[in-house]
Amino acid sequence: MQVAISVGTLIQALVWSSILSLTAIGITLLYRTTRVPNFAHASFVTTGIYASTIAWVFGFHPYLGIPLGFILGGSEAVLLFYMLEPLRRRKASIFLLMIATLSFDILMYGVLNVLADILQFEFKILSRNIYFAPIDFNIGGLQGVVLISFAALLVTMIALQLLLYRTNLGVALRACMENPSLAQTLGVNVSRMLLISWFIAGATAGVAGALLPFYQMCNVYTGTYYLAEMFCASIVGGLDHLIGAPIGSFLLGFAKILLLSSLASVIGPDVINYMLIIPLGIMVITLAALPTGLAPLIMRRRGV
Amino acid sequence: MEQIFGQILLFITSFLAVYSVYLILTVSLNIQRGFAGIPQFGLVFPAAGAAYAVGNVSSRLALWILGIKTELDPIYESSGVIALINPILSSQPFLSIALFILCLIIGAIIGAVLGIIQVAPAIRLRIDYLAITLLAFGEIINVIARAYRPLIGGEYGVQVPSVFGWAGKNTIVAMTTAMFIVSLIVYAYAEYLGRTPMGRTMKAIRDNEVAAAALGKSLVKYRAIAIVIGSAFCGVAGVLWAFFNGSVMPGQFVRFNWTFLPWLMILLGGLGNNKGALVGATTFVALDRFITYYKHEFVGFLPFDVIWLYQILLGAITALILIYRPQGVLPERPYIPKDIRERVKSSLTSAS
Repeated sequence: MQVAISVGTLIQALVWSSILSLTAIGITLLYRTTRVPNFAHASFVTTGIYASTIAWVFGFHPYLGIPLGFILGGSEAVLLFYMLEPLRRRKASIFLLMIATLSFDILMYGVLNVLADILQFEFKILSRNIYFAPIDFNIGGLQGVVLISFAALLVTMIALQLLLYRTNLGVALRACMENPSLAQTLGVNVSRMLLISWFIAGATAGVAGALLPFYQMCNVYTGTYYLAEMFCASIVGGLDHLIGAPIGSFLLGFAKILLLSSLASVIGPDVINYMLIIPLGIMVITLAALPTGLAPLIMRRRGV
Repeated sequence: MEQIFGQILLFITSFLAVYSVYLILTVSLNIQRGFAGIPQFGLVFPAAGAAYAVGNVSSRLALWILGIKTELDPIYESSGVIALINPILSSQPFLSIALFILCLIIGAIIGAVLGIIQVAPAIRLRIDYLAITLLAFGEIINVIARAYRPLIGGEYGVQVPSVFGWAGKNTIVAMTTAMFIVSLIVYAYAEYLGRTPMGRTMKAIRDNEVAAAALGKSLVKYRAIAIVIGSAFCGVAGVLWAFFNGSVMPGQFVRFNWTFLPWLMILLGGLGNNKGALVGATTFVALDRFITYYKHEFVGFLPFDVIWLYQILLGAITALILIYRPQGVLPERPYIPKDIRERVKSSLTSAS
């Protein structure tokens, strides 16, 4: 029995892991700052998907939807921040905050469906089958999305690293992550720091969403469909370290795609149907064995 | 006139069916979250699991009870098997009801077992991790139902016997009445549970774990009891929905309807309070039914499907409740047993 893993499969895994990382970064960042698992991340990603669609509808290349996704995703997150702010000030429980993000997600799901209907009826496009891979550019046989998704991840990680560790704003942001009340006492505007972290999280999710139609067929439900996987990635990586998001995403992304393709060649193509079980299974095992995720292990070894 | 009457009847039956299921789900959530403080984000898992299990065995059970022998496969050739069962079942009201009750019991047992299974690995975890793990389980069950065809025949699902076929023209009325009666029993039980020492212990653990443990109450035991009872109710809700639809399909059990909506309902009504669950379920289901029935009136006026307005409204209402009335419409009131009330009263009168 021979299991062959082609270069194509590896490239697929790379694209998916990069996109997943961009979503997981936001989840981890928000967890670090607000201590709440953000269910509305699903709609941030879907907003990104429709940002690239809008760019395409108005005659631009869908890649020009990336900056639009950045802005729309970020603005949506800022809206949610303003909704959560009264709850946070009242020191509402984590439950209420989770439910609040959830209700915002449901609201946005409705709004995005209205948008999809309008795109379908007024602009006559199949707004629930968004797929841009056929119009992607090609460099030396490599699809554009491979380069662009990985570059987007690198740029995001470097920018975040610079922001957090090289600027005064970063110092204030990290202070808010460690101990918000102490940071407030020292004159840091915690509310503003939270606003910034929400914008970053929404914007990166928007970028991930804008890239997603180049990887697979998307619709309004796509963000929600992958929500559990995004959470898995950030939990497996470790919610307490920002670097955990890409670590978890690459582990899950590669595990899912490589395992599936090798299992499919051994057992048969039916295995693809069980796709979602791999990341969820890895998360359940990680939580049972290592509740703080993988990042603390790596950080400890590096002595950070 | 008859047409209008028929429409009204259709509205009432569909309202009652949906309402009964949501009432059971909200009461279940109220026992688990409101009483025992467990962040149960995985109601869909026991409900779907029970419905799938009953979908798998109901035809076999009916064949066995009625003594029918057939070469047809109850899963892959389910419509053929149902065509054999339904005519005989419709002439046997007692056997039909026995089958219905047997399936409800199976659903409750499967639901309770699945509830324990999904919480067992995560009960030690922090609340947020637990919530996400529960969410993940809800996804897993649907993935399995879609992919593993021997369970319920994959994407196309499987049919279940019509256990109220004997009512003839009034099958739907009989079905929804039965659903409503079951939901009222569940509600009455939850109301009773809240007044028992067990229910009060659960609330005590929810309010202050350390104090309850110091008084010798086992945290794990009472949480497990809450999960078993709550998940068994979820199982019953799943089975009722399967019988109402006449079939079980993976697409019926989505997270939005089977976990998130009950959460929103219970928040609207007020946590830790069965009357709150009642108010929440009534409001949301009424809204849902009105929009479902009147959405065609809007066709042509709006450039989109009006059903999305329901989602927007739902999200907005919940957000407003959370911001302006986080305790819900009917906040929880502490229950004081009658004997203690009388003792306090008599001590007050004797003091004066």
